[in-house]
Amino acid sequence: MTSTETHVSGDPPGHVHTDACDHDDESNDHDHGHHHHSAVGGKLAYGPLILVLPLIVTIAIRGRLGLLDNTDLRLWSTLFVSVSIQALPFLVLGVTISGLIAAFVSPDLVQRIVPKKPVFAVPAAGVAGLALPGCECGSVPIAGRLVDSGTPPAAALTFLLAAPAINPVVLVSTAVAFPTEGRLVIARFLASFIAAIAVGTWWARRNDHSLLKRGMHDHDHGTNRWQTFLDAASRDLVHAGGYLVLGAMAAATLQLVVPRSVLDVVADNELLSILMFAFLAVLLSICSEADAFVAAGLPQFSLTSRLVFLVVGPVIDLKLIAMHAGVFGKKFAMIFAPVTLTVAVISAVLVGQVLL
Amino acid sequence: MNRLGRAVVIVCLGMITARLLFTGGYGWFVQQRMQIPLILAAIVLLIIGGIEALQATREEQSNPDSMSRHAGPAVGWMLMLPIFVLVSVAPTALGAAAAQRVEAFTPPDTTERFEPIDSSAGIPEMRLSEFIDRAHWDEQKSLKGTPIRLEGLVVNDDDITDGFKLTRFMVSCCAADGIPIQVALRGIDATYADDTWVVVDVEWIEPEVPYFEADGPRVVEAQTISLTTVDSGIPNDPYESPYDD
Repeated sequence: MTSTETHVSGDPPGHVHTDACDHDDESNDHDHGHHHHSAVGGKLAYGPLILVLPLIVTIAIRGRLGLLDNTDLRLWSTLFVSVSIQALPFLVLGVTISGLIAAFVSPDLVQRIVPKKPVFAVPAAGVAGLALPGCECGSVPIAGRLVDSGTPPAAALTFLLAAPAINPVVLVSTAVAFPTEGRLVIARFLASFIAAIAVGTWWARRNDHSLLKRGMHDHDHGTNRWQTFLDAASRDLVHAGGYLVLGAMAAATLQLVVPRSVLDVVADNELLSILMFAFLAVLLSICSEADAFVAAGLPQFSLTSRLVFLVVGPVIDLKLIAMHAGVFGKKFAMIFAPVTLTVAVISAVLVGQVLL
Repeated sequence: MNRLGRAVVIVCLGMITARLLFTGGYGWFVQQRMQIPLILAAIVLLIIGGIEALQATREEQSNPDSMSRHAGPAVGWMLMLPIFVLVSVAPTALGAAAAQRVEAFTPPDTTERFEPIDSSAGIPEMRLSEFIDRAHWDEQKSLKGTPIRLEGLVVNDDDITDGFKLTRFMVSCCAADGIPIQVALRGIDATYADDTWVVVDVEWIEPEVPYFEADGPRVVEAQTISLTTVDSGIPNDPYESPYDD
């Protein structure tokens, strides 16, 4: 296990990474394509469309068949608005904290704290996830900044996976959603933590940083810190909030479209329901601060299969794949996504077997 | 999305949240205990959005080019959708349409001892969940011969010719996790439209075979003594919570 380098590819950062570094853009969201028609950013702008189009088509076809009458539309609206409103306070809390971190916790400080050797840095980064609340959309740009500031990438990636899954806001919302299932909160914490450490260790051993395309960007730490806070919080809010609304649409549609009987058949088969929940977690792309409420609404499924949903969702889903590709490069995302998904499912099933 | 667009979205979110809080309409979508978190969220949104809007306007006046600055992804505009839906479709609380999609709640076996029912101050009001809980599991059969006042909405059912299923939803967090709680009311001649809110005085009909020994669905039935429709329509707190006790 060797120590890692700050600059991950042999090329001078300024030369290769021009399209990934948006001069004024701290959060590095994947939407750069609108400004710089870069190879990565341009394609990723279609990310939301991939998620929305099937929904629109489904609704359109249902309308043709006469299935979507006024009642269905109203019920869909109730479900959609409910999920959105329920998640809003958690989202606002998350972006407030992420804004404060952006303003008051400098990468230098983090770098001083994080050990240089991955064998120490990976678990340390996992624990750090506990202290830095925010939803997954917020942790992607933070992880990017950590890599920029010289944190071993394995540690940054461990943080990326741990923070959205085990932070206090998410654990509290899980406890609120499952008030009678305290074990589920512990199981979620353990399974997510183990998955994050496992992926981080895998990355440290692999040590192939040519995969990690990482642009350097300067942030304006010279300006007013409250201004930095305001900008980061607002940016995270519209970014994470936009994806949250997509998730709420998908969840409401799924509740109406999927026949109850299919869910009941799946619910009777443990293996099928575990696979289905892993699949749903990736497709629905629900914010980690809200996913427990969705899982609580599907009581016909076993706790273990719902634990899979809670462990997979925060570490890998459609919107995260898009963000990973935007921040760390497409090649990276193509390898990182399947590994993370597999590790998360295995970790959740194992912990579920022991604890639930 | 530029900076002004971002500010507009945040202010709109804050305003719609404040509106739901003032009208009490939030209770149709989330549990009552979300009130304080929602108030805090609305305040933060209005402050951040307000400052952003002021700064963005000032920035535009001093430097018109600054508006093209990238301040957030286009997906941020999606936040306008719930606001648009609230204003245009005007969704209501869960009702008959939702009740027909999800299997009704069956109270889990409880070892809890039920308090005696106090009828000294007139007919006591009871939540639907407590009514079916007592119907199933009260060994003292406290409901027997005791008139009880219930409130809920009408869900018509083809199997019930002289009544309907009085329904409320048990919601643990938001309406998306709502599970219907139902009592089949008998002895009603008039017909009522689905989703009409009613207050009824009823008396439990003891089943010939205990619920847990019967095959098939275990519907709790009750004989209707009197019925009043609720003129004000859907209440602001239409849901029961699993942690009410």
